[in-house]
Amino acid sequence: MSRGIPPDRWAARLAAAAALSLGLLAVSPGAPGAAPRLAEARAEEEGWLVEFEAVCARTQDAMTLSDEELHALVGRCDQLKPKIEGLDPSRRKVWSKRLQQCRDLYQFVLDARVKG
Amino acid sequence: MIRLVALAAMFLALPVRGDEPGTRKRRTPPQEFGRVVNQVKKSKMGPVVFDHWLHRAKYTCRVCHVDVGFAMKAGGTDIRAADNASGMYCGACHNERAKADGGARIFAACKIPAPADAGACGRCHGVPGGEPRHQYDFASFTKDLPRGRFGNGVDWEIAEQRRLVKPVDFVEGLSVKRAPMPVQKDFALGPKLAGMPEIIFSHAKHTVWSGCEGCHPEIFTGVKRGTTKFSMVEIFDGKFCGACHVNVAFPLGDCQRCHSKPVQ
Repeated sequence: MSRGIPPDRWAARLAAAAALSLGLLAVSPGAPGAAPRLAEARAEEEGWLVEFEAVCARTQDAMTLSDEELHALVGRCDQLKPKIEGLDPSRRKVWSKRLQQCRDLYQFVLDARVKG
Repeated sequence: MIRLVALAAMFLALPVRGDEPGTRKRRTPPQEFGRVVNQVKKSKMGPVVFDHWLHRAKYTCRVCHVDVGFAMKAGGTDIRAADNASGMYCGACHNERAKADGGARIFAACKIPAPADAGACGRCHGVPGGEPRHQYDFASFTKDLPRGRFGNGVDWEIAEQRRLVKPVDFVEGLSVKRAPMPVQKDFALGPKLAGMPEIIFSHAKHTVWSGCEGCHPEIFTGVKRGTTKFSMVEIFDGKFCGACHVNVAFPLGDCQRCHSKPVQ
């Protein structure tokens, strides 16, 4: 106003600034509305890792597991595969290979029982 | 015994792929045994010269070849600088956050294309016509370790048993906590040649270093014991036991370490 800006332009600028601030607040990590979304994304991101750790933790004692348990682990490996294929290229290379090694070992133990 | 010595001499005299016919194989110097040279494709940097002796003293085979995901064959991993930068492969430990056994932080892998003599790059990448500036000296590093006859000249098995080396089996962010392994019994494998001592295979010794998925089923595919017929030619060619015992673990010339059961 002091620089000769008409009052209606001031009002428009204030409204735009308020809208921008509200927008920034909504997407900032500290915003109450954003937190659940980010936590959800993070949980989804880490969910596959938790599942991977659970599934591939039995490679050392795979030979002590029952056929049913081994079949279940193979199935869980197959379910995990698409999630790992959605990772960035670097992580996909590493985790895909690891998942395959893990799955192959369980299948190997199963095959050894059938054919061995 | 005479047969064993004769066989050992025969195997040591076998030509190796890539050698000129009629020339004797150059015996790899101890400090170069287990060396892997990875050529760099999309940069002017020199090749990465990786020595197994240093890393195997500090980490189990499984940490690198299962948890970190390095292929068992040289050049089979297709590592890129971006992979290291995102904490994969070399970057799993070489990230300035991970600590070595002495508590010091492990230097970070170089993240962008840079001259081989710049900063940390030259510690792994050789300069054209030269070798990297490795931090450790082989002779000093191995001087107090038990002697072996071949390979690095170190008996790594005894070194591990005496806790002179303490290979770590877990890398933060990549390893998973596994259930304890049940004790596996040793078993004997009959040799093809009459008069040769039987092979005593110890699952326990191998799983300390490699776990289960390091070998099965990628290297040992057979599911029924006794159905896969190994031959020394195939093994020398890098198959089966040769996947490790040609270039990294004690080499195949050390016959008695496998053919260890006295002939009845």
